Amino acid sequence: MNSLRVFFIGGLTSYRALFNWLNPWAFLSILVAYPVFQTIYFIYLGRTANTANDTFFLIGNAFVAAAVAGLFGMGQSIGGERRYQTLPMLLASPANRLALFLGRALPAIVNGFIVAVLSYVLAAAMLHLHVPATRLGGIGLALLASCFACAGLGLCIGSLAFRARSIGLFADTISGVFLIITGANVPLDRLPDSLQTLADYVPLTHGIHAARALAAGATLGATLPSIGTEALVGLAYFTVGLAMLHYFERSARHAGSLDRF
Amino acid sequence: MIRAFASGLRVDLLQLVRSPFDMVGMLVWPVVFASIAYLLLGSASGGRTLFSASLGAAVMIMWGWVILGAGFALDNQRELGTLELIVGAPTPLVVLLSPVMIARAIFGIYGLLLTLAWGRVAFGIPLLIDDWAAFVAAVVGCILAIGTLGLIAASTFVLYRAAFYLGVSLQYPVYIACGLILPFSVLPAWLGPVSWFLAPTWGFRALAEAAAGQTPWPDIGMCFALSVVYLLIAIPCLAVFEHLARDRATLKLA
Repeated sequence: MNSLRVFFIGGLTSYRALFNWLNPWAFLSILVAYPVFQTIYFIYLGRTANTANDTFFLIGNAFVAAAVAGLFGMGQSIGGERRYQTLPMLLASPANRLALFLGRALPAIVNGFIVAVLSYVLAAAMLHLHVPATRLGGIGLALLASCFACAGLGLCIGSLAFRARSIGLFADTISGVFLIITGANVPLDRLPDSLQTLADYVPLTHGIHAARALAAGATLGATLPSIGTEALVGLAYFTVGLAMLHYFERSARHAGSLDRF
Repeated sequence: MIRAFASGLRVDLLQLVRSPFDMVGMLVWPVVFASIAYLLLGSASGGRTLFSASLGAAVMIMWGWVILGAGFALDNQRELGTLELIVGAPTPLVVLLSPVMIARAIFGIYGLLLTLAWGRVAFGIPLLIDDWAAFVAAVVGCILAIGTLGLIAASTFVLYRAAFYLGVSLQYPVYIACGLILPFSVLPAWLGPVSWFLAPTWGFRALAEAAAGQTPWPDIGMCFALSVVYLLIAIPCLAVFEHLARDRATLKLA
């Protein structure tokens, strides 16, 4: 019961702290305005290059918006503890570590999903784009798998907070690189072979592929392998992230570096 | 005042060079923007178009760093409790804040050089600058105009605690409004007149025209003229917002 409390209440409290105790401007500007205008920018760039249709960029960038929410949200939920000097207290508590850290992943997943939906709907409305409503359920499922995968990678980034002063650098760099290598803004066949191989092992690639196929008319059954692969990628990152947390916590306790900032 | 400005510029540039976030961020983002443009436009669009895209990416990152820096610098001062001291100092606030913006715009030269080097090494785009004198003048004009535009934004950030967030949300709208890497033919017509008031439009045009050996001097002139206009707007704005912040006692609220 206590683990459930840590999972749900701890996760929710951490999410609230993420926005400097519910500052609505933080949410509106970083997670609504920024991704919407980013999507619109790349749709216009796509029109300039005449490489793919608007839906290609609309879906790609909505998924990137979910990634940013997942990477920064999950990463900062652990990094913020260090910044505000509460990490030693958190780790000194007898709370179940799995419940403690996975509880922070749940709001990141839900938040990423909401942000992507907002980004998709607002950008589509502003540019008068239309995707058949019957396709949205499947696209939502692909998005959920991608949000899960991004939260997994965010957990890996968050674990670096035990070593690094700021995890923003890692999250910012990865979110920039994701604009290219996941195929969000560039068709994968235009990337060098090495990047195409790398793309298979990062979050978003398979989710975006599935969502675009669904929007183009593929059935949910035909895209389930891609959605399943995306979920598997997420599971792998969660496993690695938990192992990294365990390792870095032990080494930080050993070095007495938890409250060093 | 000149000493305060020069000293501020030196300290802000040193801070930027010593900051891993800024050094790595400035390494990643121009390369990301330029690579997406190169990969989408393709080599068939020609070296001149791709080189122009490099310049667009550099101006994007210059604006991004100024507007983010404006918010971040003030947020940081607020959090560290030094904003009150800065406002309380006898030196005018504009002299203390403008080096932050100008330093970040100057830092954009690092982004410009990286973008051009990346284009050359990874995509084989030649360095196509026909008029070097005009190009250097365009870089200076671009830095001044974008830096002073950031100063107007910074004046509102003195009052509002959510400064950094506002800075984040202002990046892409300006990229779109200024037609950076985007031709105005794909944008809504009403954005054309909006772009005339924004420094990155003229900075990018000046760089592109100088590189192409066309007529960059009117655009460079617009950069300098806009810098003066922005400064004339920023000074009273800063005075008003500073007064309001003092009146509401919000300077110390982190």
